Amino acid sequence: MTTAAIRQIVCAVRGGPESRETVKRAIAVALESGAKLTFFHVMDAEFLGYATHGTLRVVYHELREMGKFAMIILCDRAQARGVAQVDYLLREGNVRTQLRNLAIETGAEAIVIGQPTKSATKNLFNAAEFDAFVTDLEREGNLRVIQVQPAPIAEKDLQGGLVL
Amino acid sequence: MKAIALGALRQESAQRSGPVIIGKVKMDIPSRGNRPIGRLIDELRAQVRAWMAALGLPERWSEWRVSLRRRFRLSLLTTALLGICLVLVLTPRRARIEGPAAPQLEVGTALVMGSVQNRQNQAIVAVEIAVVPASGGEAIAEGLTQSDGRYILVLPKSIPEKLTVEIRRGHYRKAAIELSPSDLLILRDGRPVVLPPTILLRSLGPAFWITALIFLAVLALMATGKQHNTLAALVGVASLLAVSYLGSPVREDLFIFDFRSALLYVDWNVIFLIMGMMIVIAVVEETGVFQWLAFKSYQLSGGRRWLLLAMLMVVAGVTSALLDNVTTMLLMAPITVQIALALGMNPLALLMPEVMASNVFGISTLIGTPTNILIGSYAHISFSGFLFNLTPGVILALGGLIVYAEWQYRQELVSEDGASAELLQRLSERGRILQPEELRKAGWVGAAMLAMFFFGERVHLLPSVTALVGATALLAWIKPDMEKMMEAIDWTTLVFFIAIFIVVGAIQEVGVISYVADGIGWLVGDSLVLAMLAVIWMGAILSTVIANIPFSAAMLPVVGHLSATVPGAEGKVLFYCLAVGSAMGGNGSLIGASANMVTAGIAERAGFPITYAYFLKQGAPAVLLTVSLATLWLLLRFYVLG
Repeated sequence: MTTAAIRQIVCAVRGGPESRETVKRAIAVALESGAKLTFFHVMDAEFLGYATHGTLRVVYHELREMGKFAMIILCDRAQARGVAQVDYLLREGNVRTQLRNLAIETGAEAIVIGQPTKSATKNLFNAAEFDAFVTDLEREGNLRVIQVQPAPIAEKDLQGGLVL
Repeated sequence: MKAIALGALRQESAQRSGPVIIGKVKMDIPSRGNRPIGRLIDELRAQVRAWMAALGLPERWSEWRVSLRRRFRLSLLTTALLGICLVLVLTPRRARIEGPAAPQLEVGTALVMGSVQNRQNQAIVAVEIAVVPASGGEAIAEGLTQSDGRYILVLPKSIPEKLTVEIRRGHYRKAAIELSPSDLLILRDGRPVVLPPTILLRSLGPAFWITALIFLAVLALMATGKQHNTLAALVGVASLLAVSYLGSPVREDLFIFDFRSALLYVDWNVIFLIMGMMIVIAVVEETGVFQWLAFKSYQLSGGRRWLLLAMLMVVAGVTSALLDNVTTMLLMAPITVQIALALGMNPLALLMPEVMASNVFGISTLIGTPTNILIGSYAHISFSGFLFNLTPGVILALGGLIVYAEWQYRQELVSEDGASAELLQRLSERGRILQPEELRKAGWVGAAMLAMFFFGERVHLLPSVTALVGATALLAWIKPDMEKMMEAIDWTTLVFFIAIFIVVGAIQEVGVISYVADGIGWLVGDSLVLAMLAVIWMGAILSTVIANIPFSAAMLPVVGHLSATVPGAEGKVLFYCLAVGSAMGGNGSLIGASANMVTAGIAERAGFPITYAYFLKQGAPAVLLTVSLATLWLLLRFYVLG
């Protein structure tokens, strides 16, 4: 599939510096194809198991707002770079399930997604799982998965101003 | 005449202009014109209105009614609050309520009395005491030691030739005292015999080693995060009880404790205090006050990042001291990330100092950290005890922490690039109080609770009672959805605390704690300074690798032993050292405190992961600095000033 045939691109990102290359690539593909770009963020709150805390409704709301805020920033950046149609989608739950559901529901022709990194960050997939997931996604969603190798993030990249 | 006058008045009224409120009917009445009395009344009325406006009083009756009602309610509340404080302040300290009175004994009853202690001179409870004839046969008197380790046995009138007092308890070596002929004579005369205190020595059986292994396994499961903390603690409880019930029929020395004895180790004061505070927090967190505070900090800082950092640290610290650090971070971290993103800076430059400040400042009150709740309940340290003895040191440590954070993140803080006015404007819409009425009510109840925490110690009002009364009053006042409120109580955490109390109770029961206390006691000798340093720094270092709640729970009896044996440690100083070490040490690693874990979780969701290595690199110097400053204060307060 060439980029000319793409009308909608989904860019699945968490936000932050490790998403930088993925976002850049998604914007580049959107500019090349003239496709609509949708940033997709899944809010999983598995870590709240560590909390000694009962009512999580307010916390979920805060996390949703935080995710929305990051996606708004990405939309602004994409528009500033000339992408005509940009929006974002926010879902809650298991990231893999939500990504698969989204691929089927939206009918997007391409998904831009970052590959697992070798950083100390907790990865969602290991390399083998990622390959299997991509194959499944391409088959089930009848779409193209554009994989992006994130640039390694050094500590200095996190200091002195943040550019997404 | 009267009718004429009324008619004239109506006629006169008809000539006035401007709206006048009569009852609930709004009427247009013409002005009095230039008549002198009318002018005087107008002037008087204008003057009264001006005064009322100056005093902020409403003009209309309907507003007056609402205002009066509100003022009445407010003054009623204030009076009630002041009344409670006054009663608590003026009430003289009463003696603790003692246990049931001793049974009335006839004159001439033969008694055998004594006490049983461990090697640390602490009373041993529930020791079986039996007076047995030396010739054999059944015991002629039996009983158990009470909470102070004492026992009193009533003997029958006929006293055999020779008698032995047998003393035994699980996990201790048996002891026996043969009564001397003179003792027997006293008993035959119907007088009491007082035996010297018996020191029971520990026995190291299989139960000791199995319990120690189970405890270490529970700690390992928690430290590695392989299991949820509550599940890890429950696995420990289940294993201990399984060994006791299933193992002891096979081998008697596998018995650790029975279910009833296990429950005796649960500190219900802690459980109910945490539960009460959870309800209060559940109401407060819905009001949006945490987010409002974070956003106000940004506004007041005027965009100066260094000032924003310091303000967020103070806000997180103070809020943690009054509520708890996990809630503070759960609700402040997301908006902090957004503020940082809007300012174009790395969110970790704000989040890391914020969580460290919340861990440090929470120590200043009884309710600020779960470890303080544990320590306060065990050592009977009051709210004011923590406040007066720790707050100066904590302020000192927070000051040091702010300086450290400003230096550590200086690159982020000096830069002015990347701020987005649009994003900040968007953010301002969220930085507001969502439920002002609920916040006002929670504020009143919170103030009353603080007063009760503060003054309640005079009447031995347990903090758990204050928390429950406050939570119930708040629920009754705001009438929330009770189902939602019950969901707000974190039963998982409460079960965790119950389970960890039982696991720690088991190592106490079999004697692991005694051996650890003996070891530390041997190291520090009779030196209070060494004991203080050992407890603070051991607490700080071990809290970086072990979650500080189970660590503190296990250390409480150890510190209790040391307090009883080290000269000068009677004033609970070592418990304050434990509070400082275990809570401030939590800043040394990601797993050191629950607040760290939730902050890392939120940061990772925003794409800014906090790794173990990163936390250690930033946190270790902070621990060194804050614990050193707090140590200086504790030494000054308890060693120099006494």
